[in-house]
Amino acid sequence: MKYLKNGFKLASIASLSLLLGACGEDKPDLTIMSFTDELQRPIDKFEELHDVNVELQIIPNESYRETLQPILESGEGAPDVFTGEIVFMQQWLDANYWEDLSSDPYNVDEWSDDYVDYVWDLGKDSDGNVRAVSWQVTPGGIYYRRSIAEEVLGTDDPKEVGDMMSTMEGLMDVGAKMSEAGYALFPDEGSISKFTSAFGANEEPWFDEETMELNMNEQRLSYFDYAKELRDNQYSALAPAWSPAWYQSFDGPIPYNLGWDELEDAEGESTIEVFGVALPTWALDAVFKQEASENAGDWAVTNGPTSYFEGGTWLGVYEGSENKDLAFEFVKMMTHDEEFLTEWVDETGDVLSYSPVTDKVKEDISDDFLGGQNHYEFFLDEADTIDASTVTPYDQQLNDLFGTQVGLYVDGEITKEEGIQAFYDEVNNSFPEIITPDN
Amino acid sequence: MSARDKTISDDAISLSEKGHRQVIQVNIVRLVIYVLLGLLAIVSLIPFAMMIINATRTNGEILQGFTLIPSNALMENYDILISYVDVWRGFLNSLMIAVLVTLLNSYFSALTAFAFWAYNFKGKTFIFGFSLLLMMVPGQLSMLGQYELASNLGILNTYWPLILPAIAAPFTVFFFRQYLYTSMPYSIVEAARIDGARDLLIFHRIVLPVLKPAIATQGIFTFIGSWNNYMGPLIMIRTPSKFTLPVMMGALSGSPVANNLGAMYLGIAISVVPIMIAFMFFSKNIISSISSGAVK
Amino acid sequence: MLRQRKLQPYAFIAPFLIVFLIFNIYPIFLTFYFSLTNYSGMGGIDNATFIGLDNYRRLITDGYFYKSILNTIIIWVGGFAVQLLIALGLALVFSDIQLKLKGLGFFRTLFYLPNIVTVASVSILFSLILDWNYGSLNQLLMQIGILNQPINWLNNPAYAQGSVSVINTWMWFGQTFIILYAGIAGIDNDLLEASFIDGANWWQRFRYITLPQIKPIMLYVMITSLIGGLQMFELPQLLTDGTGSPQGSLRTIVLYLYNQSFLYNNFGYGSTIAYGLFFITVIFSIIIFKTMYADQVKEGERR
Repeated sequence: MKYLKNGFKLASIASLSLLLGACGEDKPDLTIMSFTDELQRPIDKFEELHDVNVELQIIPNESYRETLQPILESGEGAPDVFTGEIVFMQQWLDANYWEDLSSDPYNVDEWSDDYVDYVWDLGKDSDGNVRAVSWQVTPGGIYYRRSIAEEVLGTDDPKEVGDMMSTMEGLMDVGAKMSEAGYALFPDEGSISKFTSAFGANEEPWFDEETMELNMNEQRLSYFDYAKELRDNQYSALAPAWSPAWYQSFDGPIPYNLGWDELEDAEGESTIEVFGVALPTWALDAVFKQEASENAGDWAVTNGPTSYFEGGTWLGVYEGSENKDLAFEFVKMMTHDEEFLTEWVDETGDVLSYSPVTDKVKEDISDDFLGGQNHYEFFLDEADTIDASTVTPYDQQLNDLFGTQVGLYVDGEITKEEGIQAFYDEVNNSFPEIITPDN
Repeated sequence: MSARDKTISDDAISLSEKGHRQVIQVNIVRLVIYVLLGLLAIVSLIPFAMMIINATRTNGEILQGFTLIPSNALMENYDILISYVDVWRGFLNSLMIAVLVTLLNSYFSALTAFAFWAYNFKGKTFIFGFSLLLMMVPGQLSMLGQYELASNLGILNTYWPLILPAIAAPFTVFFFRQYLYTSMPYSIVEAARIDGARDLLIFHRIVLPVLKPAIATQGIFTFIGSWNNYMGPLIMIRTPSKFTLPVMMGALSGSPVANNLGAMYLGIAISVVPIMIAFMFFSKNIISSISSGAVK
Repeated sequence: MLRQRKLQPYAFIAPFLIVFLIFNIYPIFLTFYFSLTNYSGMGGIDNATFIGLDNYRRLITDGYFYKSILNTIIIWVGGFAVQLLIALGLALVFSDIQLKLKGLGFFRTLFYLPNIVTVASVSILFSLILDWNYGSLNQLLMQIGILNQPINWLNNPAYAQGSVSVINTWMWFGQTFIILYAGIAGIDNDLLEASFIDGANWWQRFRYITLPQIKPIMLYVMITSLIGGLQMFELPQLLTDGTGSPQGSLRTIVLYLYNQSFLYNNFGYGSTIAYGLFFITVIFSIIIFKTMYADQVKEGERR
C-alpha cells in the first residue's frame, strides 16, 4: 500500500508538470502532414532557407485517409500543408480541403505546360481548378536482378528482358525458367495484380461513374488464375508485399519453409532467392535504396506485360491554414523549384513530373543502383502512355477487397466462384451505391 | 451421539493404517501437478519470451527461425524504432491521461457517494437508480455520439474527451457508497457538524481518509482501464505526437517500423515490460482487490 | 443553515450529474438520432437526411450483422470454456487441503501477468508470432518437430477464431483463477470438515459442496466475461487487416460497427449497429439474471 501511495503521488506530480509543460511548447511556423518521411529532407532544407520551424507529422499510410479526413473537416489540429495519394485524391479534391491554387495569388495555371499531363490533370477538382500539385510521375515496371537474369535468361539487358516479359504468357515462361533454376519470379502473388487490375493497367474503370455498375472484366478475373499459377508452380517466394520477409527477399535468399507435401524432401533449411518485383518509380528510393540496398548495382528495371502506375504524392495548401504564404512557398519549392528539384533527382533518383528539370537531366541520368541504367527515359515513356480517366474514387478499397478474395483462393480456402461472390457481397456491404453484376 | 463418535474413531484408525500409502500417493499427485503447473507457466510466458528475445535480434535472424539465445541487435532495433515512433512520448501521454482519469474518478466519485450516503434529498433515488441502470449500457452506444459531441465542442484531438467523462463513473460511486454504508458510522459526521465543521471539510478530513482502501482498490482498476483504453483515443486523437501507447502500438504495424521485425518486437516490449515491472510491485494489492471484488 | 444543508447535496453531486448528462446521456440520444439518418460522419449532422427506420430495416436483414454476432459468440464461448476449465482446475488443486501446494502467490502473479498488458500490444505481438512463414510459433513448432508444415493461423476462419479464443484464454484464465480461488477459500471450513468425517471422496466433495458454493461466483465471472466478450474489438482489429479477415471470421459486432462508421463512412448505420449491440446485451443479461434468480430461489428453498 505504501508503494501504491508514493507511486501515485509521484505519478501525479509528473503528469501535472507534463500538462503544464505541454502548454509552453513552441508552436511550429508550419505543420505538414504526410504518410511517409520522404518530405523530411526537403523540410530540413526549407527550414534552413527561410529560417523557420517546420513540423512534419507522419500518419501511417494504412490509416491516413480515415485519420486525416476528420481533421480536415473540423480544422482541429489541422496542418498547413498536407499530401494526398492517388487512391483518395478524387474525394478530397472536391471537398474544399485544399486551397484553390488556380486563383490569386497563386495562379499556378501558368505552370501547366511544365508538367506531365496525367499528373497535372489528377490534381484538378471537377471544375478544373488545381488543388494539388505533384513533383513526381509514378509509372511502374519490373525491377529485376541482373545477375540472375544473366544466369537464367542469358542476358541482363533491360530491353531484351523486357521483351521476354511483354505478354502474360512470356512472363509465365520466365517464371518457369526461374523456378527450374531455383529462383522465384516474384516475392508474392500480389505482384501479378499490377498487370490485371492495378491503376492504369486495366483499360476500363472499376465501375461506371454514371450508372454505378461494377465492371468485372476478363482481365481483372485473370488475377485469380495467374495468382494461382504463381503459387502452384512455386514462382513466388511466399513473402507478402510490404512484409519484413518481402524487404529481406531483395537483399538475398530468404527462408522458404513451405511445407507442402510435394516438398517433403526439401528439409527445413531451404531458402529461395527472388528474381524481380513489380514496383513503381518511387520504390527505387523508398524501398531499395533505403531499406534493401544489399544488392546495389545488380538491379535493373524494365517493362511488364502492361504499363501501370501506382501511388504518387500530391501536395497542396490547407484552405484553413493561417500561414498560407509560407505554406505555398513550401509547395512551390517541392514542385516548381529548378535548383531544388535537380538536387532532389541527384539524391533520390525520383522520376519528376516537372519537365524543365527532366528535359535537362534525362539524357545523362545513370543510376548506380541500377547498374548505370538510365531509368528516366524508360519511366518517362511509360508515363506518357498513362490515361488518368480510368481511375475511380474507390479503386484502392475495391482492389483491396478483390485481392483478399484472390489470396484466399490461392491458399485453397475457397473456390474461384465463392471468391467472386464474396467480393460482390463485400462491395454491396461497403458501398451500397455500387451495383454488382449478380444483382 | 455415541454412534457418531464411534464412526469417527473407526475412521481415524483406518486413516492411520492407510497413512503410509496415502502419503506416497499424495506425493505423486503433487509431483504431477507441479509438472503441469510448470508447463502452464512456460506456455504463459512463451509469448513474452519470444517478444523479449526477438527484440534483440535482427530482421534476418528472426526470419531464419526462433531460438532462445538473444542476439546483439538491441540498440540497432532501438534506433530504427525511435526514428519512426516516439514510444516514450506515447508512454508519457498514456501515463498522464491515466493518472488524471484516476484522480478525477476517485475524487468526484467519492464526493458523489458521500452525498448519496449522508443526505436525504429530492430525486436521490431516481438519480442513483437511473445512473446505475445506464451502467448496463455498453460504451459503444454513446461512443459515436461522444465523437460528434467532441467534434462540435472543438475538443477533438485533445485529451478532454478522454479525461472529463471520468468525473461521472456510476460504478465507482456505487462501490464507494456501499463501502461507506458498511464501514463509516453516520454519528461521526453528526459529531463533526455539531463541532461546527462545514460539510466539505468533513468530506475531506473524515470521509476521504476512511474511503482510502476503497479508493486504492478501485483506483487500480480505473488506472488499468484508462491505460489500456484503445478505442477512445483511436477515435478522438489524430496527431501522432498525442497518441497514447495502445494507439501507437496499433499504428506500428502500418508504419515503416513494420519492415523490421526486431524493431517491432522491441516496440511492443517497451509498451509491455515497464507495466509488468510495476505490476510486480503492486501484485499483492491487485490480487487482493480482485479477490475481494469477487466475494462481495 | 438548514436551507444551506438542503442545497449542499446537490452541489456535491453537481459535477457528477453535469458530466454524466453531457458525456453519457446526451451522446446516447445523439447516437439514436444518427441511427435514424444516413449521416456519413462528416460535415455535421445537419447535412444528413432523416430516413426513419430504414437503417433498422437494413439491420434485421443484414447477413453480415448476424454473422458478426455469431463470430463474437463463437470466439467468446471457445475462450471462456477453456479459461473456466483451467482456472477451476487451478483453484481446486491450490485449495486442496491434502495437497498443500506451495507457491500460490508466485503462480497467481505469473498467471495474471498477461491480463495487465495492453490488449493492443498483445494483438500486435500475436500478429507477429502467428505469422504463417516467419512467425515464431510456427518456427518453434517446426523446429521441435510438432509440425512438419506451417499452419496458416490467420488465414483460415476456424484457426483464426480459435487463435483469438486461445489468446483470450491466455489473457483471462489468471484472473478467473484468482476469483474462483477466493470463492473456494471462502467456503465455510465446517462444511468441508463435515464431508471428511462423512467419508466423502474428492469428487463428491467437489460435486456437492464446492461447486454449489461457488456457483454465484462462477455466474459473476460469466456475466463480466460475456459483457466484455460482446465488446471484443482490439484483437480482431489488430490481428489481421482490420476488416475481419479471413473470410469475415474475425468481424465481431464492434469491429463491424467501427468499420461501418469510420472506414466506410456510414455513421448512421454504425449507430444502428450500436443499438443492435445494446439489444443483444440486454437479452443476454436477462437470460443470465433469470438463471441467477432461479438459482437464488432454489437456495432459498433449501434453507
